Formats: sequence, structure tokens, C-alpha cells
Amino acid sequence: MAENGEEKLVAVARHIAKTLGHTDTMAEDILRIFSNFDGRLREKLSDDGVKQTLNSLDRKISGYISADAPIWSNPANFYSFLDSVDQLTAAVREWTPLADDKNISSCLDRAEDLLQRSMFRLEDEFRALMERGAKSLDLTGGRAVHRPDYSDEEDDASVEDDDNFVPVAQPITDYDVVVDALPAGTIGDLHEIARRMVAAGYVNECSHAFNMWRREFLEESLSRLGLQKLGIDEVHRMQWTQLEDEIEKWIKAINVALRILFPSERSLCDRIFLGFSSAADLNFMEVCRGLTIQLLNFADAVAIGSRSPERLFKVLDVYETVRDLMPEFELIFSDQYSLSLRNEAIAIWKRLEEAIRGIFMELENLIRRDPAKSAVPGGGLHPITRYVMNYLRAACRSRLTLEQVFEDSVAPSVDCRDGDDKALSSSSSLGVQMAWIMEVLECNLEAKSKVYREAALCSVFLMNNWRYIVQKVKDDELGTLLGDDWIRKRTAKVRQYHVNYQRSSWSKVLGVLKVDSISNSTSPSGASKSLKEKLKLFNSYFEEICKTQSSWVIFDEQLREELRISVSGTLSPAYRSFIGRLQAVPDIVKHMDRHVRYSVEDVEARISMLFQGNGSGRR
Amino acid sequence: MPATDYQESSSSPSSFGFSILSRRRDQVHSMESTHDATGQETELEAFQRQVAERFQDLAAADSHELLSIPWIRKLLDAFLCCQEEFKIIVMNNKSKLNKPPMDRHISDFFERSVKALDVCNAIRDGIEQIRQWEKQLEIVLCALGNQRSIGEGQFRRAKKALVDLAIAMLDEKDSNTTLAHRNRSFGRHNAQKEQRSFGHFRSLSWSVSRSWSAARQLQAISSNLVAPRGNEIMSTNGLNVAVFTMNYVLLFVMWALVAAIPCQDRGLQTHFYMTRQFLWAVPILSLHERILEEAKKRDRRNSCGLLKEIHDIEKCARHMNELTDSIHFPLTEEKEREVKQRIEEVRRVYDAIKDGLDPLERQVREVFHRIVRSRTDGLDSISRANSHD
Repeated sequence: MAENGEEKLVAVARHIAKTLGHTDTMAEDILRIFSNFDGRLREKLSDDGVKQTLNSLDRKISGYISADAPIWSNPANFYSFLDSVDQLTAAVREWTPLADDKNISSCLDRAEDLLQRSMFRLEDEFRALMERGAKSLDLTGGRAVHRPDYSDEEDDASVEDDDNFVPVAQPITDYDVVVDALPAGTIGDLHEIARRMVAAGYVNECSHAFNMWRREFLEESLSRLGLQKLGIDEVHRMQWTQLEDEIEKWIKAINVALRILFPSERSLCDRIFLGFSSAADLNFMEVCRGLTIQLLNFADAVAIGSRSPERLFKVLDVYETVRDLMPEFELIFSDQYSLSLRNEAIAIWKRLEEAIRGIFMELENLIRRDPAKSAVPGGGLHPITRYVMNYLRAACRSRLTLEQVFEDSVAPSVDCRDGDDKALSSSSSLGVQMAWIMEVLECNLEAKSKVYREAALCSVFLMNNWRYIVQKVKDDELGTLLGDDWIRKRTAKVRQYHVNYQRSSWSKVLGVLKVDSISNSTSPSGASKSLKEKLKLFNSYFEEICKTQSSWVIFDEQLREELRISVSGTLSPAYRSFIGRLQAVPDIVKHMDRHVRYSVEDVEARISMLFQGNGSGRR
Repeated sequence: MPATDYQESSSSPSSFGFSILSRRRDQVHSMESTHDATGQETELEAFQRQVAERFQDLAAADSHELLSIPWIRKLLDAFLCCQEEFKIIVMNNKSKLNKPPMDRHISDFFERSVKALDVCNAIRDGIEQIRQWEKQLEIVLCALGNQRSIGEGQFRRAKKALVDLAIAMLDEKDSNTTLAHRNRSFGRHNAQKEQRSFGHFRSLSWSVSRSWSAARQLQAISSNLVAPRGNEIMSTNGLNVAVFTMNYVLLFVMWALVAAIPCQDRGLQTHFYMTRQFLWAVPILSLHERILEEAKKRDRRNSCGLLKEIHDIEKCARHMNELTDSIHFPLTEEKEREVKQRIEEVRRVYDAIKDGLDPLERQVREVFHRIVRSRTDGLDSISRANSHD
């Protein structure tokens, strides 16, 4: 503080001398008068004073500069050197406006020369300190941490230390750890040097040394996590299993980077460039930029890559990682220079959302492309139904994330649900998307069902598949999304197919068994004959149905029973009463065994064997 | 890498593609046609014409403009415009594009687009390299750019920055080597006792793997890129010509970027299918030839990038080096004037780079985003058209 006052005083004195002194000699005289007046001025104002200051600084500084040993290793020397540099910098600043004076000019040249040599030396000291700081870190076997449970980054070092120690990958549970990559004393010294270099206008040199060193450190840290640099094309052509591994590594790496490495670098920048906030900001951005780009680039590659449905869950992982780390990202890169990085991150976040939506679209295409001709023999459950339902159930485990993803999009242009469905189900875009996929599946199943020659088998097929769908939807998040009304409607569908089946399979048989007022209009022998014919028809129809349907299957046990019971329930009484009618005809009763092939119990037995799927009468 | 082949198409040198389309147009006038048929021809013809015009404009650049930052930005602008027009063509023709043979052609184009993305990323890294060189120039300016008479100290400082700059540009050329150990003994009072290994200007490309090669990537983009034949053009109504054109434009723009800006394994021997069938082929191929000529020049052969501003850096650095080497103290007035002159040169180069690099990088990034966007949208709309057949 006193120095400033003195400087001002000196400046005023000089100014007066200059203004009043019309000649050089006059000015000198005035200065001499001032010098005589005040001892401080004497030293500062006289040419001799300037030279003296310079010479003394030269002696001190040259001594340090010419020493081989690093100056910082001796704290007393270090601070003395820095102090001298401060004085030199102040002197240069003071003398520069007076450069017109030839004597001062030559001293200024020497001073600037000395300053440059000091700066060069300081730069060397700076680098050496950083190097040494890093070395001492290796000796302690990893970074100095404040908490005991840490990541498996230390595994490499730990193994070297102790052969008995079995490295177990510790999950990074606590991200509050701010890692000191360098010891505190070193950081302080680095700051002292940086201060002087920036003040002397050597900020570029200082920043350069700093940035180079930290970038290498970061790259090394990341490679220890096993993360390799991958181009977009490489990721695009990678085998899925390999890519899954890379994604795992990437998730870990980006968490470590954003929660540990970058905050640590930020803190380092802030401490070393304390007081020079734009230098701190710029250097931080330059140090972390490359690594950030590498990490973001990988996420981008995943977003740009294939939309194969199997990739959904891993892409969701990447998306959720980016989403969850976004607050950290924006906090860490909040400075003026990092705007483009923030924008990149957001763009990639959006692309990942698109990728997820694209995957569902690809699922739709997959369903549509599934050939109609590949209907399942026996009308059973089709693989595509099983695939889609299990897929959607698995997807709905990430329901919240998916809601987010679809909320930001434009829903499919046609909301295919009818009014009731819309009203009662979840009105979210995700619900709409799910309903749409179900619609696509429905169309595909319809097309497949038409391949069957028998209408009854068509109904069996649809019954089976919709039963499965309803079951998978009912007790799941998927059910909430689609809504109760949707479920109710599809359950009704299953019942409808049940009815259709029964009608198309059994109405003919039942028709045969219908004995109306034949006996009234025709003669007893005519009645007997027609009954015999009916019986014959019944036998052949029934035989045929049992043969045809022997390979048909209903996979759901409950549904199978229901079907059997309902068939039995209509056929049995009809047959029983028909048999009853037969017994009234003496003609037939005489040769009952010959005509009646099945007892009522036989019929019921045959029916109870239906829908098992193992054909007793192979076609 | 073999030299580019000259495979002239066997058809007549007149713009064959155009004659096909114009013949059809005559037919169209002579009979009733749907609006669609004329609409499509006009759209495709317009595309050809616009591509040609843009590249004619770029080819009109003189030797000072060619491969300068402003010219590169014009090139990227032209690419973005072509891309947008092509996107519209894809939208309007999506039902044709999901059937053979066009489905193969369009998916092939989108595959090439993905390869171009890596080039964009590598170029972005290259621009960052140039920024590092800019910082060394800034030191030179800081040291010698004052009005005051300059002392030995400032010269030493400038010299060190120039040495660092030379090392950086050298490192860039050997971008496949690992850590460069350099002994920076110049400018020290004492000789270095030991060789310190500095994490120097090692070209750390963050976006591509160490084994990535720009030359190989370009080769992949250009592989099997041949002009469609007459009968194919007829059968697709000229649509495959549009795809071929966009492919070619993509290839050329990526190639030019690699030529100009430092990146890993810059090789310019990419095979360009030679064709004079199309209006735009003439200016593109002429630019191609001129750039190759530039690359062969004695003082550019070993350059790490043909960007004119890089050449300017090399020149002004060389002049500055020669000057500082010939300096004796005290400076004569003549020498002082020379120093001021050279410094002005440095300042001009520095300003051009400082002003030019940020917008250039933004544009390269924009190209990246648009390629992704148009690929995603294109694939989506085509696959949707597929399912609504």
C-alpha cells in the first residue's frame, strides 16, 4: 500500500519536473531539488537511483536464474526470487512511460531483458513443479482422497503395493470427493508463479505449460478406465456385444469425468489462476475440452447408430446417463468459453431421444414385415406375439424415462385409440405409442389368422394370441399405460373369438342333432330313416372335427378348460337328448351298437382331449 | 495409393444426363402429362443446375482465394445448400426410394454420410490445432509488437515462440508418432543439462482413434462411386443421378477439407471417378486438379495443411526467423523498420486466423449436424413410406 503511495508521489514529482522543466537540464535541476527534499525521491528519481535499483535487482535475480537447482526447492530463495520479480515488474511498469529519457530507456531495456529471463526461468520452475507434484502422487499409490471408499481407479497402484490385496472394483458411491491431483503446497507455489507470469504479460506461456500438462493427465486417467477413442464409423460397424461393453466403460468414465476429474481440474484452475478469472476459465475449458468431446462423441455415435430393437435398453442407459449428468455438465461448463460444449451436449441428448423413438419405429416395422404366411400350425401362440409382449413389458420397466422421451416428441399422427380408450387410459404420449404398437401387432395377427383355411382355426389362433396379450398387459405397467378400457375390450375380443370358434366348429354338428317335428310329419319308418342318417352324419362330423382339431392347441390352461366346458356344455345335452330320441325308435334300439358309435361319455371324453396339441389322428 | 484414374465414360462428351432429361421434356410437351412428371424432372434438373452453379462460382476463385478460410466457408455453404435441396428430393420421392434399385443407392449414400461424420470431427480437431499455433503468434506479437524499441529479451521471447510454433507444426506432420521429446535449448542462458520430456504439442485427436486415417476414410467414401449408366438413368427417371451427384459433392467437400486442414494421415490420392457427363463435374474436377497442383508445389509438399492461412503462418514465421537470426544489437534503424514490417505481416496473419477460425469451426459443426439430421430424416421417411404401401 505504501508502495502505491510512493509511486504516485514519484509520478507526480516527475510530472511537475517535466512540465516545468523547459529544458533537460532544467528538469534535472528540479528533480535534484525534489531529491534533496525527500530521501525516498532521491533514490527513485535520480538516474543513479534508477540504475542502482536495476543493478541490485539484476544481482539478486541473475543469481537465482543461473542456479542449476530448482529455486522452489528452497522456500526462502523462492519467495525472495518472486519478490524481486515483483519489484522488477513494478519497475518496468514505472519506467515505461518515461522511456523518452535516454538514460531511463537503456535501463528499461536491461530491465525488460532481465524480466524476460526471469519469466523463462519461472516457466521452467512451473513445469518442474507440476512434474514433481505428479511424481509424488505415484509414490503414494494413487490420488490423495478424502474418503476411504473410492473407485477402482486405484486398482492399478494398489496391486503393485500389495500382492495379497485382491482388487475389487468398488462402485463409485460418493461423488463428493474432490480429488487433489497435486499436493496443496505445490498448488500454492504454482499460483505464486502464475501470478507473476500473468502480471508480466506472459499469460500465454504460463497457460500453455499448464494446459499441456493437465491434458496429458486427463488422457491418462481416462485410459486407465479402459476407454478407447472410437470414431463414429467404427462404432457404427461394431458388433453389438462389443459395443455393449464399450457403453459400460463409457458410463463409468463419464461419471468419473464429470463428478470427479473435471471438478478437480476446475478447482485447480481456480487456485492456480486465482485473481485472473478469465485465464482460469479459458484454461479450464482448454484442459477439459478434448476429453469432453471424446465422451460426447461416443454418445453421439450410439445415437446415430443402428435402430435395431435389441439396442433399446443400452441406448436407454446412455440416455439416462446423459440426462442425469446434465446438471453437473451445465454447472461445470458454465463459463463463457464453454457455451459450444453445452450446446453440443444438449444436441446429443436430443439425438438420443430421437434414437429411442426411432427404435420403437423400427419395432413397428419389424412387426409389419413379419410374414403373414408364417402362421403357427395348430393355431398356437406366435413367436412375434411373445417377442413383442415381453419386449414391451421390459421396456415399461423404464417407464418414467420413456415418458420423458415421448413427451418431447410429436405423437404418431393417428391416435388410433377410440374415444373411450383415450379418455380412460393414460393420456401420455407413451401410452399412445404403446397403443399404436398394439394396433400394428393386431393388424399383423389378423393377416396371419387369414392364412388358416378353417375359420375355426383362425379363431383359435386369435384367441390364443390375444389371451396371451391380455395376460401380459394386465399385471404390468403396460396395463396402466393402455388403460382398463383397452384391457376390457381385448378381453371381450377373446370371448368373441371363443363364440366364433364354437359357432364355426360345432354349429353344423349341433344342427344335425336338432330333432324337430320330423316325427309328426313323416311316417315312423321315415322318421327312423332320417334319424339314422342324422346319426351317421353326426358320427362322421364328430369324427372329422376330432381328427382335424386334434393338433389344435390352446396354450392357456384356464382357457382350454373353459373351451372344453363350453363345447361340452352345448354338445353333451344336445347329444344326450338326441340319443334319447333314438331310444324311442324301436328300429334303431334293436341295433343300437351298430349305429351309435359314441356314448355321451365317449363324446365328453373326446372333447376333454381337445386342444392339447398332440394329435391323436395326424393329418 | 495409385494416381487417380481417368475413366472417361464411353458416351458422347455432351452432357448426356441432360440430353436424356431434355428429350423426355420434349416428349412431355407433345403429349398430355401429369403435373407430377414435369414437376419431378424440373426438380431434378434444377438440382443439377444449382449444384453446377455453386461449384462454378467456387471454381472462379483466383489462386489467392482458393483454400483460404473464406473460400472454405463458401464451400461448406454450398454443401449445405446442396444437402437441403437433396433432402427435399428425398422427401418427395420416398416411395420410389424404398424399392429396388433406388433403395440400394440411397442406403449406400447414407452409409457414406456416416463416414463423412468422422472427417468432420477430425477437421474440428485440426482447427483446434491451428488455434494453438495462433497462440504462439500472439506471443510473438506481444513480444515485438510494441511501439517502443525492442530489446534482446523480447527477441528471445519471440524466438522461443517461433521455435515452439515450428515444433508444433512439425509434430502435426508426424501425427502418428507418440510423445515428442524436444530439447528446447534455444533462448536459455544455460545449456540444458538433461532432456526434459514435455507434453508438447502432440496432436491429440480426441474424436478418432489413433489408427484412424483420413486417407482411408476418403477412400471408403469414394469406393465404387461410379456414374449411373444411361439405361439406369431412364429406369429411375434420373433419381439415381441426383443420388450420385450428392455422393460426389459429399466426397469432394470432405476431400477438400482434408486437403486444407491438418488431420490424421492426410492423403490426397483418393480415387475420383472421372466423368464429364454432368454440368457440375467440370468445375469440381477443375478444383480437384488445382488443389492437387497446389499440393505438389515445392514449398507446400510437406505442409500439414493446404489452407492458405497455414501457408501464411509458415511464411511469416520463416521471415521472422530469418530476421531474428540476422539481428545484432544494437539495432540499426533499417533493421528496426524491417522488424516492424515483419510484425505487421504476423499481425495480419494472426488477425485473419483469429477472425476466421471460430466461424469456420461453427460451420464444420453445422455440416456435421445437418448430415446427421438429413440421414435420420431420410431413413425415417423412407421406412415409413415402406410400411404404408
